[in-house]
Amino acid sequence: MRSTLTHDTDPLQLIRRRLGKSKSLHDSLSGRASPDGSESPELLQRERSIRTNRRQKFINCLLQEDINMPELRKLAWQGIPDELRPIVWPLLLGHMPSISGLRSSTLKRKREEYASLVEVTFARDRQLDQQIWHQIEIDVPRTRPGVRLWMHACTQRSLERILYVWAIRHPASGYVQGINDLATPFFQVFLSAYVDSEAEDFDPTILPPSVLNAIEADSYFCLSRLLDGIQDNYIAGQPGIHRSVKRMAELVARIDPPLAAHLASQNVEFMQFAFRWMNCLLMREISVRNTIRMWDTYLAEGADAFSQFHLYVCSAFLVKWSEKLRQMDFQGIIMFLQSLPTQSWTDHDIEMLLSEAFVLSSTWHNAQSHFSGR
Amino acid sequence: MAEGSNYDYLFKVVLIGDSGVGKSNLLSRFTRNEFNLETKSTIGVEFATRSINVNGKVVKAQIWDTAGQERYRAITAAYYRGAVGALLVYDISKHATYVDVTRWLKELRDHADSNIVIMLVGNKSDLKHLRAVPTEEAKAFAAENGLSFIETSALDASNVEAAFQTILTDIYRIVSSKSLEQSADAIKAPTGDTITVTPSVDTTQQQGGKCC
Ligand SMILES: Nc1nc2c(ncn2[C@@H]2O[C@H](COP(=O)(O)OP(=O)(O)OP(=O)(O)O)[C@@H](O)[C@H]2O)c(=O)[nH]1
Ligand SMILES: [Mg+2]
Repeated sequence: MRSTLTHDTDPLQLIRRRLGKSKSLHDSLSGRASPDGSESPELLQRERSIRTNRRQKFINCLLQEDINMPELRKLAWQGIPDELRPIVWPLLLGHMPSISGLRSSTLKRKREEYASLVEVTFARDRQLDQQIWHQIEIDVPRTRPGVRLWMHACTQRSLERILYVWAIRHPASGYVQGINDLATPFFQVFLSAYVDSEAEDFDPTILPPSVLNAIEADSYFCLSRLLDGIQDNYIAGQPGIHRSVKRMAELVARIDPPLAAHLASQNVEFMQFAFRWMNCLLMREISVRNTIRMWDTYLAEGADAFSQFHLYVCSAFLVKWSEKLRQMDFQGIIMFLQSLPTQSWTDHDIEMLLSEAFVLSSTWHNAQSHFSGR
Repeated sequence: MAEGSNYDYLFKVVLIGDSGVGKSNLLSRFTRNEFNLETKSTIGVEFATRSINVNGKVVKAQIWDTAGQERYRAITAAYYRGAVGALLVYDISKHATYVDVTRWLKELRDHADSNIVIMLVGNKSDLKHLRAVPTEEAKAFAAENGLSFIETSALDASNVEAAFQTILTDIYRIVSSKSLEQSADAIKAPTGDTITVTPSVDTTQQQGGKCC
């Protein structure tokens, strides 16, 4: 397995370097699609040049002294090229400043801050909160069972620290099962900036500690930002989830009355399946790859997308299976929704879902008072 | 596996107990004969069914596997409604999970039907060298509290079948004796709002699902 390592821990530098090396950057900078010699059909070629074009727009946007954030959001909504994601996500989340001159110093400061948080939290004379620690300890090995990266002790220790430090600093919620799932896309995306091979198959022990620490710190801060927007999901009673599930049920009743009626006739309650959809942001329903693509759009939408826009995504997601579900009885419905056939989903399926959700949100978001008033 | 829509009785059973004691694996062992060293944690609830034979009758178990973490207590408690049986699981190698059994019993007392049949299950019996809860102690505790008791291993499959068979048989006994001594109209439908019962071949018997 080939993997290029570098000790540089500034993602932007890394990307610059990598782009500088790759022929495609050269091609995109000079504005022409890469001629690969194959007689690809015209459509494919056009698609490729659209992609190259989009990539070029991203690069132009990212190379600005002070990045135009609305423009970046607009671009990101449609999906972020894999190799640019490790820099675009921290920008969208506000973990990295838009002004290029401030970037390395900010990252450096934050990573030091995280290092000292870890040091204080795990100081030898300090008692761990046993309840929180115990739950994290049993969940970490169960986070991505069977995936090489996540089976490595060193990745698991990183995840433990991220989750525990976060939990201790957020006593209202503490650690809630499912938050471990939400940390994984960040870790993988940031790791991908430093390696050329597939992040999930990567052996992180060959990374220099400084790189691993940077990935961990960036993951921590970005996870924190994401969770800031959905804290209500995890505090006592989980009111955020109850609210979202209720609104989702109301929305589905409007956009797909036959489905809503069928679910009701079978005594299926939305809580029985949608609770997890909210608690883990659909990560138990779709692949991490799909999740990462989905988060491009969520992050572009803004801070409250993980509660607001997500609700429309969940509604569109349910309605997708409407025809099948309407043929099933209670048991069939619950079992089907518990293991949905999304294994083969590609970015394209996610993009369809996102655009359906977008239509729903534009149609219904302002009409919200309609149904919250019922 | 006797599966299908034909059954004489439908019993709703819940799996409860601390996080990590092996509830999900007990369920997958029973319903699919599968065990996984790394299963994801349960978020909210998960559902599975299996039908078995009890005294020549087909008994279908509708099993709700609940999340063990405290934070989920509010949501999982909703599933106790209408349950006629509960498997209260602890981990024989983790004493704290046994101590918490008392808390789980209280949960059941607060949220479940008062006649719910409860079985105390000491799981991970394969971890002999790590045993932290003596069998006799748990057995005595179960007897004091009117629970049946068994030790299982979802890993090596020992007693898993027996655990479910025993609790379903216990429920069956209560239900069938009740339906003999009570008039049919005294027996309510077996469901809480959360479950649906598809018509069975024998409605009267099935309605016995609610044991009082
Ligand atoms: N040795 C051994 N390990 C087991 C047994 N049953 C489960 N495990 C392991 O214990 C861990 C937790 O099992 P789960 O079935 O996920 O536990 P759970 O009770 O469903 O946990 P929550 O969903 O968090 O409430 C997993 O790593 C299992 O492989 C068993 O009988 N023996
Ligand atoms: Mg479980």
